[in-house]
Amino acid sequence: MNVVVCVKQIPDPAAPGALDPQSHTLVREGKLILDDSDAYGVEMGLQLAGDAGEVTLVSMAPNQEVSGVRTALAMGAAKAIVVSDPALKGSDALSTAKVLAKAIERVGADLILAATESTDGYTGTTPVQVAELLGLPSVTFAKKVTVSDGKVRVERQTEAGFDEVECPMPCLVTVTAGVVEPRYPSFKGIMAAKSKPVDQLTVADLGLDASSVGAAGARQEITSVAAAEARGGGDIVVDEGDAHERIVQFLEQLKLV
Amino acid sequence: MNFAFSEEQEELRRSVRRFLADRSPMAEVRRLMETTDGFDRPVWAQMANQLGLQSLVVPEAYGGAGFGFVELAVVLEETGAALLGAPLFATVALATTALMASGDEAAMADLLPGIAAGETIATVALTEDSGRWDLDGVSLAATARDGRWVLDGHKMFVLDGHVADLILVAARTERGMSLFAVEGTADGLTRTPLPTMDQTRKQARLELASTPGRLVGEDGGAGPVLARMLDLAAVALAAEQVGGAQRCLDMAVDYAKNRIQFGRPIGSFQAIKHKCADMLLQVESAKSAAYYGAWAAADGSDELPVVASLAKSYCSEAYFHCAAENIQIHGGIGFTWEHDAHLYFKRAKSSELLLGDPAYHRELLAQRIGI
Repeated sequence: MNVVVCVKQIPDPAAPGALDPQSHTLVREGKLILDDSDAYGVEMGLQLAGDAGEVTLVSMAPNQEVSGVRTALAMGAAKAIVVSDPALKGSDALSTAKVLAKAIERVGADLILAATESTDGYTGTTPVQVAELLGLPSVTFAKKVTVSDGKVRVERQTEAGFDEVECPMPCLVTVTAGVVEPRYPSFKGIMAAKSKPVDQLTVADLGLDASSVGAAGARQEITSVAAAEARGGGDIVVDEGDAHERIVQFLEQLKLV
Repeated sequence: MNFAFSEEQEELRRSVRRFLADRSPMAEVRRLMETTDGFDRPVWAQMANQLGLQSLVVPEAYGGAGFGFVELAVVLEETGAALLGAPLFATVALATTALMASGDEAAMADLLPGIAAGETIATVALTEDSGRWDLDGVSLAATARDGRWVLDGHKMFVLDGHVADLILVAARTERGMSLFAVEGTADGLTRTPLPTMDQTRKQARLELASTPGRLVGEDGGAGPVLARMLDLAAVALAAEQVGGAQRCLDMAVDYAKNRIQFGRPIGSFQAIKHKCADMLLQVESAKSAAYYGAWAAADGSDELPVVASLAKSYCSEAYFHCAAENIQIHGGIGFTWEHDAHLYFKRAKSSELLLGDPAYHRELLAQRIGI
């Protein structure tokens, strides 16, 4: 089985992030790393692809950036497509989805995996848009994925528990952290990743019109940015015989009980 | 020569660091240090099967990955920073290097693949009651009896000796210093875990009574083998010490920035600034020494014996200095059991003495450069 995993290369979350003062978009210059949340998809893909199939990575990145993709190649993915183009600057989620969908079409996958959302942008909308553009069904928030008889069976995380969903392949599945434990690359894998094929493509290579992507094609605009609300003081519960009930209420609110 | 780490080596560092943060966080280090074995077998297996840490420097012909000492130094710097409780140092820095230095192809073919696969935990038993890390301290005797070798005597301070499946024992035969492979379950072998000040690195006393051993290398030919093992181990330990020292510096600087006293962060006081600056100076110098040692080991340089003792003596003092100053900068809280500072302090002290203290290595250094 051939699996495509959509991966995003993001600025190191440990370093303080910044927003571009004009466009209000994230500054994504310099060295980028593999989004941690994508490591789950890569691992899931490697396990499902098995020895007979292979995992192809698809990524859109500024400045032909590949260092994050190399991490996923070191885990065991066979090859990668990285789309880089100045015309993609300022892309919204839909533009990104258009690019990823076109790139995925070139590979031909039985299954497409993605994280539920990226760690830097958090829109969580790109994967389902990719599925829609490809005309494929999608299942989101998978906490368990198994494949048999050309179908994928997913335990789909819900607030109360999980749904069991079955879906014909090809399809797209987004996986949560915890679906599998991502492997840690060995030095052998890291060295092997150096020589794995990474196809660097532009918007024109994909046959997309430059005006339909990037800032030119963006259908969303960030008009303003506000600082996050400072954390307020906690509630103090004075026990008047009902403290236990109020604590239970509070925990219920957080869906912890 | 180029001392900058390659992108791939940095990627290895990130991989190992992430693994240790996930699988060997401080809570786990503390849990394991209270156990007799001192390590977690599933973690050990994952180190072998996924990261390939045990096979890193083992040649491909013997089931390893065939990489060099620079990569090993990167790994040990991270395990030292995390205070990983596992028999990794004993297995890769002591036993693997001793086997490879022996040049005994049959022994390597039999023993290295198990080490590389993470199935064999191995160590070297050199020291005896004197605690000396040179060959003069060895009195344990091996004799040929009915066509096989048996060992009689005892060893002290054997790293992970109580959990090792394979123990390479330095012993004296009629022909001189020799090396013997002894199985952990061998007849007549009694292993007693020793109480250690540094609970994150376990030691054992081994009692051998007519214990069978397999000669590794030539009868009487282990002198140069052990000497090379000791040099390589010194470089490996220096890398570990650098990792620990850097972590102490990071902890101290972080605390100095956050701890407010008299209305300002304590890091703004000159007395604290100076301490941090001195720590940084030592950490950076220690890195230069340890990385040079790793390069000399990887490159087969003649300089190795000189650099090994230089790195071991300097890095020992740098780590201990940083671990002690870290406690001072933390003040009262740094002196509590709950804070991790004391774990680094104890590891720094045990590492300072392991393989010979700084005075011993400075003496070796003086001899080796002909002073």
